[in-house]
Amino acid sequence: MLEISNLHVHFDLNGTIVKALCGVALGVGPKETLAVAGESGSGKTVTALSVTRLLPSSARVTSGEIYFNGDDLLLLGEGALRKVRGKEIAYIFQEPGTFLNPVYTVGNQIMEPLLLHQGLSRAEAFAEALKLLALVRIKQGRRVFFSYPHQLSGGMNQRIGIAMSLACRPRLLIADEPTTALDVTTETEILDLLCELKSNFGFSLLFITHNLSIARRIADRICVMHKGFVVEEADTERIFSSPQHFHTKELIRAYQAIGTL
Amino acid sequence: MAKSERAHTGMNKLLCTGIVIIGLLGALAILAPFISPYEPTLIDATSLLMPPSCAHPLGTDSLGRDLLSRIIYGARISLSIGIIAVGISLCIGVITGSIAGYFGGLADSVIMRSADIMLCFPTFFLILAVVAVLEPSIINIMVIIGLTSWMGIARLIRSEILSLKEREFIQAAKAIGASHMRIICRHLLPNALGPVFVNATLGIAGAILLESALSFLGLGVQPPVPSWGNILIESKATLGVAWWITLFPGLAIFVTILGFNFIAEGLRRQWDYNA
Amino acid sequence: MLNYIARRLISSIPVLLGITVISFAVIHLVPGKPTSIESALNPKVSLQVRERLEKLYGLNKPIHVQYLEWTRRLLKFDFGRSFSDGRPVIEKIAERLPLTVTINALSMFFILVIAIPLGVRSAQASGSWFDTITTFFVFLFFAAPTFWVALLLMQFVCIKLGALPISGITSLDFEYFTFPQKIADIARHLILPVGVSCITGLAAVSRYMRTSMREALQQPYIYTARAKGLPERVVLYKHAFRNAVLPIITILGLSIPGLIGGSVIFESLFALPGIGRLFYEAVMMRDYPLIMAEVVLGALLTMAGNLIADISYAYVDPRIRYGKK
Repeated sequence: MLEISNLHVHFDLNGTIVKALCGVALGVGPKETLAVAGESGSGKTVTALSVTRLLPSSARVTSGEIYFNGDDLLLLGEGALRKVRGKEIAYIFQEPGTFLNPVYTVGNQIMEPLLLHQGLSRAEAFAEALKLLALVRIKQGRRVFFSYPHQLSGGMNQRIGIAMSLACRPRLLIADEPTTALDVTTETEILDLLCELKSNFGFSLLFITHNLSIARRIADRICVMHKGFVVEEADTERIFSSPQHFHTKELIRAYQAIGTL
Repeated sequence: MAKSERAHTGMNKLLCTGIVIIGLLGALAILAPFISPYEPTLIDATSLLMPPSCAHPLGTDSLGRDLLSRIIYGARISLSIGIIAVGISLCIGVITGSIAGYFGGLADSVIMRSADIMLCFPTFFLILAVVAVLEPSIINIMVIIGLTSWMGIARLIRSEILSLKEREFIQAAKAIGASHMRIICRHLLPNALGPVFVNATLGIAGAILLESALSFLGLGVQPPVPSWGNILIESKATLGVAWWITLFPGLAIFVTILGFNFIAEGLRRQWDYNA
Repeated sequence: MLNYIARRLISSIPVLLGITVISFAVIHLVPGKPTSIESALNPKVSLQVRERLEKLYGLNKPIHVQYLEWTRRLLKFDFGRSFSDGRPVIEKIAERLPLTVTINALSMFFILVIAIPLGVRSAQASGSWFDTITTFFVFLFFAAPTFWVALLLMQFVCIKLGALPISGITSLDFEYFTFPQKIADIARHLILPVGVSCITGLAAVSRYMRTSMREALQQPYIYTARAKGLPERVVLYKHAFRNAVLPIITILGLSIPGLIGGSVIFESLFALPGIGRLFYEAVMMRDYPLIMAEVVLGALLTMAGNLIADISYAYVDPRIRYGKK
């Protein structure tokens, strides 16, 4: 489904070059959950954003290919890429409150991809949006639809983020640390929701996290990154039973110390 | 690309240009008696309203006074008024802002309310009103401009102090028993002064502009003492006839303000990148 | 929302009080009585008249009594009578106020209409030649002393080219014009004053808009918008702009005192019968009732402007309008 190979990305900050990704290679199969784990700064988010070229303008992709269903996304023009964004590949981000626009209602923002990619009328989009809200287990969908992000809790906002991303039934959902900013109870709810939706809709999930216990819970395979490289990639159980690379072992050790593994 | 190069040199181009301009101006002001070709108040009945020539590079006014000399001496007046006025507003602003930010409570409310009230008055109206009662003199102008411009600085200092107050190094200073005064002066203010520099630079430009406008209206520096503003008074009467009287004094004001704006913007860009 | 408006109005009251105190203090606490011989340049006011005025205004009474009496009269909108011609001050102001308000309103309108798109385009095309040239002009406009520019323009456009009238609000034979001709005539007379008073505002607002827009474009929700596949146009104008334009409302409110103060110079230069010029004349003639009234008026207009700006902001920003649920 998604095949990233030899991806090199650097940032050009006022003359200084900062290397972010140095030959990243990973793949996600259909209906599979791949967790990309690593400490901060290892390049996880950059990898995620590179897939549909969402990186800031200071970023340069110097080499590599990103194959999605046979097409190299890096070669697509802006117009074609926009058709992929939101429709085939969707995102959910870390802090749901800040990733939603504060001056528009939540419903308005959910309707955007529906109006754009599926050519629905406003009435149809409205109905569909309410259905989506129900799907992410939000009660009082109507009331929430007309609310603003600042009026809702973090958990609610993240559900809305999920609803928004699933609006056009994408085939790949990229989640960048979606539960890091949430408390533990909400985190569990969101993770359960994601898993349920995944089995219902059958999309692939690329899940970025620094938290190995979450990775263990939901991922089929885990990919460990460190300083812009993929250092190890294997099935979940194998990663934990016999980690090969030094950094994988470090990561596991850190989580064992906290006692969450 | 060009922007990144500029940011990385020690002092960016904008800042340098500004400093050069103001430096030249300062030099003009200080060296006025030495470089000015004539006495600024020297009346020469034989060369009334002469256009620029070798003898008078910027022309003469309706009393035959050399414009170049008047403009050079005008630099003295304008710069000194600007600097002293801003000095006064800095003193008031820093003190009130520090007290408001550090002690909070009633002092804060009173000071900020006063600032709010003062900010409601169009500065020009207030200044004119005071000038109507007092006689316009250079000292009066400096003091009035100072008294009506402290609010911005006070607010800045207050907000900087508010945000710095809770930081560890302040807690540490308190823990070892430093007095309030010491904490404010030694620890808080030096960190808070950054944005104030930018504000003060722009403040000098603003003060010079205010003084020029006042003098232009006849309520500022009084002739025969030359100020860029009061030289322009004549230009109203000689509009179609003597373009040099309109052009040069105004150009002086313009370039000066531009210079200070360059410095302010240059400083801001410098610190933004370093932050 | 109504809650917010109510609170805002209530907190304005002490400010109003403060305004009256300062306006009063400015004239009365500085050395020299308002009618003292040295400062009254008005030769028309004889000694007897002056003494009568002093009694009338209670200038012999202690200062706080004077203040209270003045404020009481203010509440009835009685600003006293002008020293120069004895007419009620409020009348003199009322007949000139509309023009100043019109000019400033037009000014603000043009500033908004020109500066906002400029700022947005600059932010969008950051670093391009468009941005560089606009920045260059912004610096120029911001630094140029407006009365100087006015003089230069008068010299060039009015005298040399004869294209626009140099002063006044109407031409000499205004009465003989038809209605559309009258409108056109007034418009021609207003072009220079409005144009010149826009200059600083244009620079400031377009710069601010650019900064605001650039900040908005760095926000996380822009990533979301792009991730949804929205066209760049929508990302810019729907998502970024709506957030970026909010602080501009506040800026506009803050620029009102500057506009009002600036009107003193413009109206004097262009001989326009507005409250700015009235104020200038009052100062020249030491017409204290008029001066005090104008100072209070200036402050009131500013306060009103800020109030409107704050309330508009609260209305437009859902975070304030709706608060937390």
